[in-house]
Amino acid sequence: MDSSLSIVEAKEAAGTMASRFWGQGDSESEEEEEEVESEQGSDSDDDGGRGDAGRSSGGNRYLKNQEDDSDESDTGHRVIRSLRDKRNEEMRSIVDQMRNAMKINDWVSLQESFEKLNKHLEKVVRVNESTEVPKMYIKALVLLEDFLAEALANKEAKKKMSSSNAKALNAMKQKLKKNNKQYEEQIQKCRDHPESFEDEAADDKDMDDDDDDDADESDAEIEDPDKIAMSESEEERDEDDDDKEGWEQKRSKKDKLMDKQFLKDPSEITWDIVDKKLKEIVASRGKKGTGRIERVEQLTFLTRVAKTPAQKLEILFHVISAQFDVNPSLLGHMPVNVWKKCVNNMLLVLDILQQYPNIVVDTSFEPDEKETQKGADYNGTIHVVGELVAFLERLDSEFLKTLQCTDPYTKDYVQRLREEPLFLVVAQNVQDYLERVGNLKAAAKVALRRVELVYYKPQEVYDAMRKLAEQPEDSLDDDDAEAGDEHQAIDDNRGPSPFIVIPEVVPRKPTFPESGRTLMDGLMSLIYKYGDERTKARAMLCDIYHHAISDEFSVARDLLLMSHLQDGVQLMDISSQILFNRVMAQLGLCAFRAGLINEAHGCLTELYSTGRVKELLAQGVQQSRYHEKTPEQERLERRRQMPYHMHINLELLEATHLICAMLIEVPNMAASTYDKRRPMSRTFRRLLEVSERQTFVGPPENVRDHVMAATRALNKGDHQKAFSVINSLEIWKLLRNRDHVLEMLKLKIKEEALRTYLFSYSSCYESLSLNQLTTMFDLSEQHAHSIVSKMMMHEELHASWDQPTKCIVFHSVDQTRLQGLLFQMADKLSVLVESNERAYEARTGGTLEGVPPPRRRGEGQDSSNMGKWQENFVSSQGRQGGGNRFGYSGRGGGSGQSGGHQRDRGNQGSRGGYGGGSRFQDGRGRNQSGSSARGGDGGARMVNLNRVGRV
Amino acid sequence: MAEHDLTALMAAQLDRHLVFPLLEFLQEQQLYSEPEILEAKIRLLSGTNMVDYAMDIHKSLHGTDDVPEDMVKRRSEVVSRLRSLEEAAAPLVAFLQNPQLVQELRPDKQYNIHMLQERYQIGPDQIEALYQYAKFQFECGNYSGAADYLYQYRALCTNSERSVSALWGKLAAEILMQNWDVALEELNRLKEIIDSKNFSSPLNQLQNRIWLMHWALFIFFNHENGRNGIIDLFFQDRYLNAIQTNAHHLLRYLAAAVVVNKRRRNMLKELIKVIQQEQHSYKDPITEFLECLYVNYDFDGAQQKLMECEQVILNDPFLGKRIEEGNFVTVPLRDEFLENARLFIFETYCRIHRCIDISMLSQKLNMSYDEAELWIMNLVRSSKLDARIDSVSGTLIMTTNHVNVHEQIIESLKGLNMRTYMLAKEHRGASSSSSAGNSVRIAESTVLRRQGLV
Repeated sequence: MDSSLSIVEAKEAAGTMASRFWGQGDSESEEEEEEVESEQGSDSDDDGGRGDAGRSSGGNRYLKNQEDDSDESDTGHRVIRSLRDKRNEEMRSIVDQMRNAMKINDWVSLQESFEKLNKHLEKVVRVNESTEVPKMYIKALVLLEDFLAEALANKEAKKKMSSSNAKALNAMKQKLKKNNKQYEEQIQKCRDHPESFEDEAADDKDMDDDDDDDADESDAEIEDPDKIAMSESEEERDEDDDDKEGWEQKRSKKDKLMDKQFLKDPSEITWDIVDKKLKEIVASRGKKGTGRIERVEQLTFLTRVAKTPAQKLEILFHVISAQFDVNPSLLGHMPVNVWKKCVNNMLLVLDILQQYPNIVVDTSFEPDEKETQKGADYNGTIHVVGELVAFLERLDSEFLKTLQCTDPYTKDYVQRLREEPLFLVVAQNVQDYLERVGNLKAAAKVALRRVELVYYKPQEVYDAMRKLAEQPEDSLDDDDAEAGDEHQAIDDNRGPSPFIVIPEVVPRKPTFPESGRTLMDGLMSLIYKYGDERTKARAMLCDIYHHAISDEFSVARDLLLMSHLQDGVQLMDISSQILFNRVMAQLGLCAFRAGLINEAHGCLTELYSTGRVKELLAQGVQQSRYHEKTPEQERLERRRQMPYHMHINLELLEATHLICAMLIEVPNMAASTYDKRRPMSRTFRRLLEVSERQTFVGPPENVRDHVMAATRALNKGDHQKAFSVINSLEIWKLLRNRDHVLEMLKLKIKEEALRTYLFSYSSCYESLSLNQLTTMFDLSEQHAHSIVSKMMMHEELHASWDQPTKCIVFHSVDQTRLQGLLFQMADKLSVLVESNERAYEARTGGTLEGVPPPRRRGEGQDSSNMGKWQENFVSSQGRQGGGNRFGYSGRGGGSGQSGGHQRDRGNQGSRGGYGGGSRFQDGRGRNQSGSSARGGDGGARMVNLNRVGRV
Repeated sequence: MAEHDLTALMAAQLDRHLVFPLLEFLQEQQLYSEPEILEAKIRLLSGTNMVDYAMDIHKSLHGTDDVPEDMVKRRSEVVSRLRSLEEAAAPLVAFLQNPQLVQELRPDKQYNIHMLQERYQIGPDQIEALYQYAKFQFECGNYSGAADYLYQYRALCTNSERSVSALWGKLAAEILMQNWDVALEELNRLKEIIDSKNFSSPLNQLQNRIWLMHWALFIFFNHENGRNGIIDLFFQDRYLNAIQTNAHHLLRYLAAAVVVNKRRRNMLKELIKVIQQEQHSYKDPITEFLECLYVNYDFDGAQQKLMECEQVILNDPFLGKRIEEGNFVTVPLRDEFLENARLFIFETYCRIHRCIDISMLSQKLNMSYDEAELWIMNLVRSSKLDARIDSVSGTLIMTTNHVNVHEQIIESLKGLNMRTYMLAKEHRGASSSSSAGNSVRIAESTVLRRQGLV
């Protein structure tokens, strides 16, 4: 290696020297490249011919240089001619090499040849003095592409490859993909008109025949020239056909044989032959050496030669299930074109079923051997085994899977999404069929599938889909012309015309009612009548979702409450639970848009209480630092993900939740400065605490910052600033009735600002005129009056109106801090006494005489206080008891634990240095307790160890 | 005022015959044009056997003596059918009309059927014929006869389904005959059956409840104890749910009943909650009035709504029932409603005000100044209102009595001393001294001492 390198360098040096000598600076770099390249070529190739090529290229260098430089050399003319020929010839030889490599399936050498080819291309182009890429090259690319596709599809063979070969194959795949992009047009052209490319190739061949001799000779060492000629001619013939077909035919020799067998004479083919063949193919399923795609091809061919409609139907069912088999893994998805073919097959099935109503599809009936022999004119029912609904459901889930796997920001995704109507057509037709047959239970299942494709679409999106579906076929095909052509090609050039011709009776386009609501209603009533429990529950959820996005909060709420879905949701399967979560989120958004802050908060708070919204809505995987997921779990989770177009915007959701929490919590905090009333939204409180601990407050960046900034403003009663901060959020443009919502929000903020202000500063006033309040908070007199009255009525504000002067007169009944504490203490004492009494009763078994019956608990504020105190009590006990508590949290696993940890970390991080002392004590206390509880379970020990490490 | 008319909604849940009173009422009110109502009546009658009545209406509607052919035909049909049914039921009817024979019947159904079969050759066919005959009588408008027959049929019938329909028929007949006491009994009987019976589907049961509530309106607004009855019935969970699911318009009657009923003020809170929940699906001036007053504290709005309420009440067949006393025609419910509503407004107003201008108040209460002053004075005197009148400035001054904080604290601690003492004594008697009790006592005494300082 060293030596070769040094040679290169030396040569380079020589080259540059030479060029300098020649005084030609601009061709320098090119030369260098060439040199290196040729050097490499001779290094890596042990082929005899290569040495020659290397030599010749070396010669060329000089020749070319001469040509480039000037015409000073008198032999220039002759040289140019030879150069051109030589280049072309070299290229051809490389292509030939590639062909050979293909034949023996040698990807390593193929890859090498490909690289050589590319490098050569440059030269050829330059020599030919045109920008056009030689057709030969394009042809080679097409060839390669097809071969690659075949190799990739043939998984069995791939598995058998040696590791180096497989690696080369993969490398090739990527290179080719990248490379072919620039020549896309020409490749397409080549595929469309192979003959025009062929011509040139043939020409070249003729021309080359004589001076190709030596090149061929070098090949001859490897293969017999006759053989090459044969294979070449074969290939040429194949290329005349559709390319894809070409390779498929060539590959599956067995298929070809079968062709022959059936091609002999159509009249000779009998039902028995077809049936036998079918059984044979079906039996081959899963056996080694049978390609999945191959099977599909064979079966498809069989459908053409089927003798009776029933048989055709039977074979079609096999085709469909074979198509589902194409993709073996659970994670991957079915190739898109296979999916499309599958859809077509389904439609065909439906055509047959419609055309011959006496054919019945079911699974329960055990058909006899010759059932499908009964011809089209047979009177009476013919049973064919098959399950339309299962096929349909599989089709749907495959569609979903492709969307899950595709990157939503690519064109592919949009493309795929546009194929949704295709599925809807099938679903609609299947449902129609089932209804006609009277299998309403199955129809309900299909209806659910349809509902699940429609429910998340607001009217605008629905309209767009409808328009797309109703477009004439041509314009639809423009985008996927390739795919369309493919279908055509398959249908046209494949063997004899089918024996059983089924007209397209089933509509090929979905019909949609004007509004999504009507469609939903129609499907819903069917499902409610005939669906099973799960179908009904899911349909109900979809219905609620749809009502929620159409801004019908009250209807959605009533449906949810009346159906009692909330009670049973824990028992449902996970995807239904996800759907339920989505419904709750959407319901919250809907309530928010309608200005129902409390309801919205109620809907959303649960979603946000765990901090795992993404997971709950299946919109992305959340990495948890403390809870490693097993790969198995992760895979499961990934499979549950919602496709991107069904996502609920998380920022909007978070903003909605936080704003609701703010509107509720800010006045609540202002009202309860002394007694820490139970917070309405713990999440919000925690966020607020965190943000208050920040030393510097920067301008808000994300949603959370915005709301926190607004909260600070609202706390001071500055409603204008609060609103402007909220208003500056980007997400509002996602809302349909944006102005209306913002207007509502403004009003709400003003209201809450007024309330907060009154709570905070009422103790500073003796009286306050309504006029002043209205100007301060920019509210109408009536509105302000109503708000203040409400506060008075609910005894949140100790004041009353002075009607003649329109003033609020405050009663100075507010407790001082000491009094407030006294109240708390009194409550706690009474709890203590009560528990004493209870303890006594428990011991003696009798009641105390002469003691008044214990005070009834649960009188408004009172009870909450008590509850809180008890909480304290329990927690302090826990601290004393130590280990127990940790044990619990450790065993609680997952969410609980991580939540606790996070909080601890938060405290630690933000409290900074001076808080250290107390933390240390705290930590020590816990350590002690931990050691006293040594011997507890593993969870406890682990947590304690953590703590030791951190303190 | 027609937009607040509920007749169309109500009629769907009522028996044909029960709709008549509503139409009669509408005719009196002249909310709709006369021919329209007559037309409706004819259509209504076409489903019944009261052909003669339909003919009369037709004559008055078109001002002719001619009667359409089909009516005449129908009349003869009805008559012939009546004959045949009468014949079929004759043996049993004859038996039942003889009081001596009836006395032979015992409470035991099986025995009765057996006895009838044995001695009088009256079998199930005759009993069935009795039911048909009674039904036919009802459809002909002979309610008292129908009621009698149905009563007797129920004593004999064994089919529970049939028995329930007979009960419905009896209830309708009693309502139409305005025997409110009997009707109320039947109503309760029916309610029990509906609540206890196993229905094929919950929807069915719901529908039955809704029917029951609608039919009950006739009774509740006529029977003297009906106002309690309606609140009792409608506020039962199942019935309230039924209202919220499928019969929102019944909220009007519930609201009116609650406002009028002084003793059931405690239901107001619940009612308002329901009204708020259902405000998107049903609202009328009465519910809006309550909403204005108790949700928004918008007194002007409440005032406004109250005026509309009056119209609604007058035009409602149940609420606007008239009573003629001599030359006066009064609508008792309207008066009560207005009086109570006024009191509601006033009460709420007083609660959040310290000082009110009486002239303004009189305006709000739709009274003259003197009237209002007198009214307030009476309230103050009967110690319903804790206020004084400042007659110089013409204002009403409320006395606010907030409980002193100290008193509150002392109040809350009063019992503890005694209880702890008892506990400690018991405990000491049992074993050693109770440290907990002592500590509480100590804490308490410090609290009390501190209060002295505050």
